Amino acid sequence: MARTVIMGAGIAGHTAALHLRRMLPKEHEVVVIAPNSKWNWIPSNIWVGVGQMSTKQVTFPLAPIYKRKGIEFRQALAIEVHGEGSADFASPHVTVQYTDEARAGKTGRIAYDYLINATGPKLNFGATPGLGPDGNSWSVCTAGHAEQTALAFEEAIAKLKAGQPQTFLIGMGHGTCTCQGAAFEYTFNVEHELVKQGVRDLAEVIYITNEASLGDFGMDGMNFGTKDGIVPSQMFTESLFEQRGVKAILSAHVERVEPGVAHYELLDGTKGEQRFDFAMLLPPFRGVDLKAFDAQGNDISDQLFAPSGFMKVDADYTPKPYEQWQASDWPSTYQSVKYDNVWAAGIAFAPPHQMSKPRQTPNGTMIAPAPPRTGMPSGVIGRAVAQTIAERIKHGDTARVHTASMADMGAACIASAGTGWRDGQAAAMTVFPIIPDPDKYGEQGRDVKETYGEIGLSAHWMKVMLHYLFIYKAKARPFWYLIPE
Amino acid sequence: MTTTFPQAPQPSAKELKARTNVVRQAWRFAILNTKMILMVSKGHH
Repeated sequence: MARTVIMGAGIAGHTAALHLRRMLPKEHEVVVIAPNSKWNWIPSNIWVGVGQMSTKQVTFPLAPIYKRKGIEFRQALAIEVHGEGSADFASPHVTVQYTDEARAGKTGRIAYDYLINATGPKLNFGATPGLGPDGNSWSVCTAGHAEQTALAFEEAIAKLKAGQPQTFLIGMGHGTCTCQGAAFEYTFNVEHELVKQGVRDLAEVIYITNEASLGDFGMDGMNFGTKDGIVPSQMFTESLFEQRGVKAILSAHVERVEPGVAHYELLDGTKGEQRFDFAMLLPPFRGVDLKAFDAQGNDISDQLFAPSGFMKVDADYTPKPYEQWQASDWPSTYQSVKYDNVWAAGIAFAPPHQMSKPRQTPNGTMIAPAPPRTGMPSGVIGRAVAQTIAERIKHGDTARVHTASMADMGAACIASAGTGWRDGQAAAMTVFPIIPDPDKYGEQGRDVKETYGEIGLSAHWMKVMLHYLFIYKAKARPFWYLIPE
Repeated sequence: MTTTFPQAPQPSAKELKARTNVVRQAWRFAILNTKMILMVSKGHH
C-alpha cells in the first residue's frame, strides 16, 4: 500500500488527485490537503467581478466529490514538509494546520510515500502598500474577492447613472505581476458592461500594466500566423484597445495605492499617479509559506524552494543573461531537486526565468512580468505527475517517467471581452509551444500555424463552453477523464 | 501618462459585423474547437 499526498486542490492538485485515484487500485491511498473547502473555476471569476455570475456558479464543495471518488480530504493548510521524517515521526510527512470548523487551528502530521506540491501561489498583496481588498483596491483572484469587487462595481455604475463621471483603473498592482490575461479580460468586461448599462460616455477605463507593450502577456508577446502573414499580438491587442476606447499606462510598477490614487514608477524612472474611483489591481505571486526540515529538524527550505518561495524542480536555474535563456531550461518531470518522491505541479514549481524580458528602472526597480501560469499547463502537468507516480507505485523505480515540458506544450487562452449570447466577445489565442524555441521553430520561436488569435462571438461561446466543461470534469462526472486538460 | 493607440489598425465595418454574425460565428466555433483539440492533443504525452 502506498499513500500519495497532494498539497493543494486547485487545477493542478485536483487534476492529479482525480487521475491518481482513477489509475491506482483501491488499496493505495490518495490524500488531498487544501485549506479551502471549495474548488474554484478561476477563469470565470472575472464574470463574478462584473456581476454576471454568482460565486455559486464558479465554485463547488470538494468533500462530496472526494468522498464519492474514494479520495481522503483534509481541509488544512500545509505548513511544513519533513522529507526525511523527524526525531519523533519516522516517515516522511507533512505538518498541517486544520482550517475546517471542527478542528480549526489544530495541527497534525500526515505521512506520505509520494508528495505533490500543488499549493499554487500566495497572493502577495503585501508587496505593494495599500494594494488589495484589505487596502484600497479590489481583486478577482478568488471567488470571494470577485464577489466584493462586483458590489463595488455596481456602486460605481449607480454613480455613473446619477451623472457622476467615474475612472476605472484595472491591471497590475506591482512591477513583477503575472496574469495580464486576467486583467485584460476584466478590463474589457467592465467596458462591455458600461456600454450595456448606457453609461460608457461618463466613464474612463484605464489599463495599467508592467508590460513594455500591449499583447506581451508576460511571454514577450506572440506572433499569430494568419492568411495575410504574421500579426504580432501587440498589434492585435492595441487594435482592440483603440476600438473600445481603453487607455493604457505601460511599463509601470505600482508603488502604493492610496484611497482613490495609485502611485507608480515608469521604466524611465519617472513617477506618476493615477486618480481612480474604482481600481481592480492584481497582486504579484510568490510561493506559499511552506517550510522544509531535515531529519534533525534543521530548516532546509532554501534547498527545496527558490527565493520566490516556489519549489525547485528539474529546471536549469543557472543565472544567465536573457539572450542565453533556452527552452530546454524549463522543467519536464517536475521532480524536486531534493527528494525523488516529491513533485511540484502547476504554479507551485519555480520557473527557471521569465519569458518576457526583465527590465529595470534607473532607480533599480524591477519591471519584469512573470511568466503566465494558466490552467491548461497546470492541468497537463498535474496529470503527467500523477501518471509518473501511478506507474512508479505499480512498476517500481524503473517505471516510465511522464513529461510535460511547457516547451513541448501548447496552450489555449480564451480572453473574454464581454458576456452575452448575441453580443458577447472574446479573443481566442493559442500558442505552440508556450516557451519559444528558436532552435526548433526558427526566428518566430513558435509554430505560426498553431499560434493564432481571433476575436469574435464564437470565442465567447467557447469560453462559456469551457466553463461548463471544466466544472463537469472537476466534479468527476461520468467520463470526465475523456476531457483533455 | 496614459497612452492611446491611434496607429493601430481598426477592423472594417464588414469585419465587425462578421464578429457578431451568428451563422459565421457558429462556423468559426466549429473551426476553433477543431484547432484547439488538435493543438491540445499534441501537448499530451
